[in-house]
Amino acid sequence: MNRRHFFLAAGTAAGCARDARPRLNVYNWSAYIDPAMVARFEREHGVRIRYGTYESNEEMLAKVITGNSGWDVVFPTHSRLGPMARHELLTPLDHGRLPSLGNLSARFQKPGWDPELRWGVPYLWNATGIAYNRRQIPEPRGWDALWSPALRGRLTMLDDPEDVIGICLLKQGLAFDSTNRAELARAKAEAIRQKTLLRAYMNAEVRDQLVAGDVLAAQLWSTTAAQAIHSAPQLGFAYPAEGFPLYCDNAAILRESRRTELAHAFLEFLLEPVAAAANARVAESATTNQAARALLPDDPVLYPDDGIYARGLWPPALPAEAQRYRDRLWTEIKSA
Amino acid sequence: MNLRSAFLLPARVWSAVFLATPLAIVCAYSLLTRGDYGGVERPWTPENYTRLLDPLYLGILWRSLWMAGLATAVCAVAGFPLALFIARAGRRRNLLLQLVLLPFWTSFLVRTYAWLFILRDTGLVNTALLRLGVIRSPLPLLYNEGAVLLGLVYNFLPFFVLPLYATLERLDPALPEAAADLGATPLRTLRRVILPLAAPGIAAGCVLVFIPCLGAYLTPDLLGGGKTVMLGNLIQNQFTTARDWPFGSAASLVLMLVSAAPLWFLLRREAR
Repeated sequence: MNRRHFFLAAGTAAGCARDARPRLNVYNWSAYIDPAMVARFEREHGVRIRYGTYESNEEMLAKVITGNSGWDVVFPTHSRLGPMARHELLTPLDHGRLPSLGNLSARFQKPGWDPELRWGVPYLWNATGIAYNRRQIPEPRGWDALWSPALRGRLTMLDDPEDVIGICLLKQGLAFDSTNRAELARAKAEAIRQKTLLRAYMNAEVRDQLVAGDVLAAQLWSTTAAQAIHSAPQLGFAYPAEGFPLYCDNAAILRESRRTELAHAFLEFLLEPVAAAANARVAESATTNQAARALLPDDPVLYPDDGIYARGLWPPALPAEAQRYRDRLWTEIKSA
Repeated sequence: MNLRSAFLLPARVWSAVFLATPLAIVCAYSLLTRGDYGGVERPWTPENYTRLLDPLYLGILWRSLWMAGLATAVCAVAGFPLALFIARAGRRRNLLLQLVLLPFWTSFLVRTYAWLFILRDTGLVNTALLRLGVIRSPLPLLYNEGAVLLGLVYNFLPFFVLPLYATLERLDPALPEAAADLGATPLRTLRRVILPLAAPGIAAGCVLVFIPCLGAYLTPDLLGGGKTVMLGNLIQNQFTTARDWPFGSAASLVLMLVSAAPLWFLLRREAR
């Protein structure tokens, strides 16, 4: 439904081909904004927004790396922000134009990946944990619960090398972002051992099967789990004891942008509590905005308490060589 | 410029712009080095091809050939009687052909998703069997090689039936009749008369099924649950998560060469 509204808005925008209003080009993850907020920004600023969506960081990077992609604002995940800045793809933010940065939660005011918020404004975040069926299995304490023979054929893992290899490392007390080959070999062995129990590697599509009861436990993002739990209260979400990865998407302005003033106005608009709350509600994701939190219902899945949150870690960007080695391991795991 | 080349011009421009140019780009990319965040960089290197000789990737190529071959065989066994039946259906022929084509009215993706609903634990088949008391717990119909094979056969069966139908339809009905009059049993007529005459159609059908099966990536992903890797998945992964465009380009070109082999064989056969 969100998407339909969006396409309606986009269609209308496309209709006015000879529109004289200045245009801002916003490239965001799919279903990651309230279309009504896009319309409101257009109205309030007398501009029009060309809005496009992508499904992965790689898809976005492949376009913007050319330096003349035609987009102004993009939403990279935290680990891509540094590399994008180093590649001179981003414009440093002008805090003078972003007076509402103070609305961000304390933990997103000085995030480890961008302590001075020089390159991006934290937008929405989520974690990877375990979604499970509370009626049929006990609450998973740690990642090793996903190696339980009782789950045979009714267990799924994310179809994502970083998350799968990462938790195989965490399970053995190793670092999620290890680049050590011996450690990675141990992680691979764990993943292959788990494969006999595994139903499938799949991402958000597992939601329906969790709700239907086909799948009893799934490595899953907190946001997708929260959506499943809304329609099936018998489901729960566990944040494993060994730690878990956290991901935060950030609004950033491309260096190629010729409308940085308008782009700053858009980022400032995203920080406004009402807009931030509306966007978090539509995206069914966790907001980074403290002022917006007050406008949203409390949700222990999306917003775990501080004790749990402290176990989370923000995976950094991997060096190219390590990335390549992990891709090979992933192919080995998948074809084992 | 004469009339003939004037008429051919649009097709030539089309081929140059949309076939030759992208292919040249893929060739060039396959000889370059991976950029850290996607894209390609210099220096030029043959490394992407030597990497493909790794047993890991050869294994994937072999598995793809095996799955595509198996799917083609099943299509041939299931498709031949169907094509023969339609060719002999008289006035209902066109209706039956339309029914074979009917699935193409909806998207490939939607049809594959539909299989998820049919095959899953709480899906149509398992629910029906459970209700009838045939089984006690749901059968694992999804996320294995069988499901991938089913998906491939389902999606590409029409590609086998159509060329074969075209051949069988042109087959002179007097020939099998003559065989019968001369005392051949129906089985012998099929073996000695119909099959040899249908061979070009069978060969065309096999090529048309084998090639897309070899490059399939959505079916193994959705119905195989990402637990098996076919060449298509390897290539897709290089352009997405792995961000290794040169290696993906090299793998694509090898896939194209492997796909071209049966096509070349078919063309040579027809030339003779």
